[in-house]
Amino acid sequence: MRILTGKWSFYINGAFLSGMIALCLYLFQDTVGMNDGMIMISEYAGKTVEQTAEHKEIKLPPLDWQTGFLGGIFIGALAASLMSGNWKIRFFQEKESGIVSRSLKTVLFGFAGGFLVMLGLQLAGDSFLGQWSGALQLSGGSWIFLVSSFAVACGVAILLEQRNASGGE
Amino acid sequence: MLEGNYRLAAAIFLGIFCGFLLVKSDLAWRKTCLNMFLLKDGRLIKTLLFSLGSGVALIYYLQYAEVITPHVRPGFFWASLIGGIISGVGLALCCRVPITVIAALGAGRLYALWTLAGMLLAVSFVDLISGPLSSSIYKWSTPLEAPQKADYFLDPGNPALWVVGVSFISLLFIQFVFRGESEE
Repeated sequence: MRILTGKWSFYINGAFLSGMIALCLYLFQDTVGMNDGMIMISEYAGKTVEQTAEHKEIKLPPLDWQTGFLGGIFIGALAASLMSGNWKIRFFQEKESGIVSRSLKTVLFGFAGGFLVMLGLQLAGDSFLGQWSGALQLSGGSWIFLVSSFAVACGVAILLEQRNASGGE
Repeated sequence: MLEGNYRLAAAIFLGIFCGFLLVKSDLAWRKTCLNMFLLKDGRLIKTLLFSLGSGVALIYYLQYAEVITPHVRPGFFWASLIGGIISGVGLALCCRVPITVIAALGAGRLYALWTLAGMLLAVSFVDLISGPLSSSIYKWSTPLEAPQKADYFLDPGNPALWVVGVSFISLLFIQFVFRGESEE
């Protein structure tokens, strides 16, 4: 079953990605981005912290189609990585010596990067999948967002690489 | 349109497929994304360009046949531009977007939890500053116009035709320029 264990060709991936977005638009009749799902999880996390501090009973997270989609991504990625032998527990994103340096880079790059990515997405009004869906529907805002974010990401990544501040896994 | 439990079941099923696709296309891996930004690996760029070219044509025809209706959040020029720049800096640092963070966690990359924590904190932060944002960045420009639709796909004034054309020409160019593929 090479289709389950091997990599897929770029044209299969690209066709599936656009087909999946079209199918989401048809089935859900809603914007495809997972922005509302992430907002819901963030609110749930905040409430859970409050409930834990006040020793109250913790309720289950809200489940609607967007949080269900995010849960499905977790299951799908777990299944795909197990089938292709890519499932590995990793605590650090870099493979360099020195546990302090590795820990600092993992926390700093991960946390600051995640914060900035979501901050920008919130300003632009949708998640990355939503922006991609918007670009396929020729939305001007999505095109401005995607072009600027890719251009800046390439520029900053090259600058960091040149300064040896960034590295691969 | 699906409702209730059918909607939820379809979302979970599509999510599973999306997670599978993110791993199979290497979009879930930090190294391949970083190599794309460093212009060292063309695999992801080719995937995205093919998705763009085929997706724009597919959605044009589906909207033309009235199978799907447009669902786009309103865009503001400055909000999209500033948001894109900030997200770009973040992308260069962590090489992940919300769905790839979830996929990376599913694939055992526990360090992606830091990225998820940063993202969840950003949502609360934006909620906190939503007042000043509404009276500034969203007021600097009027909402962008809805996408224009042409009656014929091959009409030279049809933006979809140009996007499809440029995507596939770029894809051909990149196919010959980038040959290396990095492994996770």
